[in-house]
Amino acid sequence: MIPTLPIFLRALLTPDLSFRTLADACAETDAKGVPCLMRTTRFAEARIRWQGCCWLLSMPLTPAALPHIERTVLAVKRLNTPALTDYRILPNELRWTDAAGEERTCDLVLQRLPEGCDFAEALLRENRGTLLQALDTLEKELAGLDFAHNGLKAENLRWSGGRFVPLRYHDAQIGGDRRRDAEALETLRRRIAEQGETSAAHDVAAPYEPVRSLEGHRWTSHVFEGLICVEDDTGFGYVDTDNRPVIASHYLWADDFHEGRAEVETPTGMGLIDREGNYVIRPEYEIVDYKPARSVAYVRKGGRWALFDYLGRQQTEFGAINECEP
Amino acid sequence: MYTQSITRNHRAAFILVIDGSGSMAETLRFRGRTTTKAEAVAAVANDLLFELLERARRDDGVRDYYDLAAIGYSGDDEVVPLLPGGRKMMRVSELAELEMPVRTETVEHRLPDGSIALREIPSPAWIEPRAAGQTPMYQALAEARDLAAAWCARRENAESFPPVIFNITDGEATDCDGDELRRVAEQIRALGTADGKALLINIHLAADESGRTIFFPTEEEAGYPNRYARLLYDCSSPMPALFDAAIREVKGAGALPPFRGMSFNASATELIAMLSIGSISVKTE
Repeated sequence: MIPTLPIFLRALLTPDLSFRTLADACAETDAKGVPCLMRTTRFAEARIRWQGCCWLLSMPLTPAALPHIERTVLAVKRLNTPALTDYRILPNELRWTDAAGEERTCDLVLQRLPEGCDFAEALLRENRGTLLQALDTLEKELAGLDFAHNGLKAENLRWSGGRFVPLRYHDAQIGGDRRRDAEALETLRRRIAEQGETSAAHDVAAPYEPVRSLEGHRWTSHVFEGLICVEDDTGFGYVDTDNRPVIASHYLWADDFHEGRAEVETPTGMGLIDREGNYVIRPEYEIVDYKPARSVAYVRKGGRWALFDYLGRQQTEFGAINECEP
Repeated sequence: MYTQSITRNHRAAFILVIDGSGSMAETLRFRGRTTTKAEAVAAVANDLLFELLERARRDDGVRDYYDLAAIGYSGDDEVVPLLPGGRKMMRVSELAELEMPVRTETVEHRLPDGSIALREIPSPAWIEPRAAGQTPMYQALAEARDLAAAWCARRENAESFPPVIFNITDGEATDCDGDELRRVAEQIRALGTADGKALLINIHLAADESGRTIFFPTEEEAGYPNRYARLLYDCSSPMPALFDAAIREVKGAGALPPFRGMSFNASATELIAMLSIGSISVKTE
């Protein structure tokens, strides 16, 4: 069931009473203390501060809104790229009492808002060449990720660290047609071109070039527990800090190691491995979501969830728990 | 029928008819705390307006998806427009352009030791609680009927989603008998556009020791022990089958249609969430 906007508004003002994970969040408000809401086609959105960062918190406005983005949420997590920003579903995050007096919960969507400014402000602060180059870089990055955003308008871009980071992946598709993005980027380029050069002094423009100390891979993550997740032509695997293979690159996808465990995906499904590459949970499930803080994994099969412990022992029947914890 | 998306080209109309009579000074349990009916009515009305306003908001501002009206009835047979400036009807963008009045709402919550604590939060307040005089509900509904009829008669609205009229009341009309009230309600329900007949939703707020709430009742549920319940049920629109699935999601899968457009001691703001407001600009499904 979808909550109403007044319920979302009250929740933003009483996070400790209404949110499960975001109990200490603080919503951005107007001068009268009322949270400022924005809405997209399928979501209502507020800006919050939480854990020292700024986030966009979205509430679905229709029952179809969340199923529509589930794949994108998983894909963004797997892509694990600085070109995109953290985008996740918080299951059962909003708690409220409905019109019939029943206790209800609703999933919310949380997206990290990178430090920086919006497109319009960047237009005033940066020179045209820098911004146009950043759009080119963004287009290449999204193409490399096979990520069609489908809503690349100025409001959905954040200028952060000398690059544009797209926001709000509610209509995004992996492997989708990127013509809409190409058209949107052309519109943005025209807007930049029409903008007069700013008179302010600027730092010397420099293209975004991530440091690549590990050679010979299509993609590398960062160091986690002494291992680095890499993508090679043969798939995802792990190397040590001297770039020596530790776990062969044969996974369809792999996550970083946390507390000695990493989620991996194979043609037969998702599983959980240890630092030697041994399966702690066999790769035969739809989703394996390991929670290092609690040393448990939420595992989905046939659309139903079960809990597994650190050693891969099943703790509950499938269907015994409602959904994956955030 | 009832399938027209609510867009700037096919606007809708929402008319709030709000009881501010003397009986509104009585108390009731509403949203888990004891409050006056007048406070509850104002809370329901403001929630509806807030929902409508925010659902019309986009990154380029509030779009004109609908026209709004709010009529109050109270005092010495007074039926008065309640929107800012005494306007009978205004576009939602016009309401958004005005400064939003804010009042303090008290939220009750239970502490870990079981005691009750109160917290004050700001809350939109276009409609102030009122409790004075008579209950000229017939006159107010007649005014709503005339507003809806004029709106439906406009050529640009001919294919729009039909008007939705929310009557927020404790049910105790003083200017008519039951038959007269049924008649004016029927006149409202007979209005419409090519997309369907107008929907009259009665939000009934009344003291009830059981503390229960009823939402889109079936015929059997309409028999709750309040002398005005059956009358308001009869006056309310049968909900179009299109909404059955969404209503069952709220009421539980065991609830069987047909449902009536009515609630008891509960907001009906959820109805707004069931409407298709704003066009889907990007179709990627």
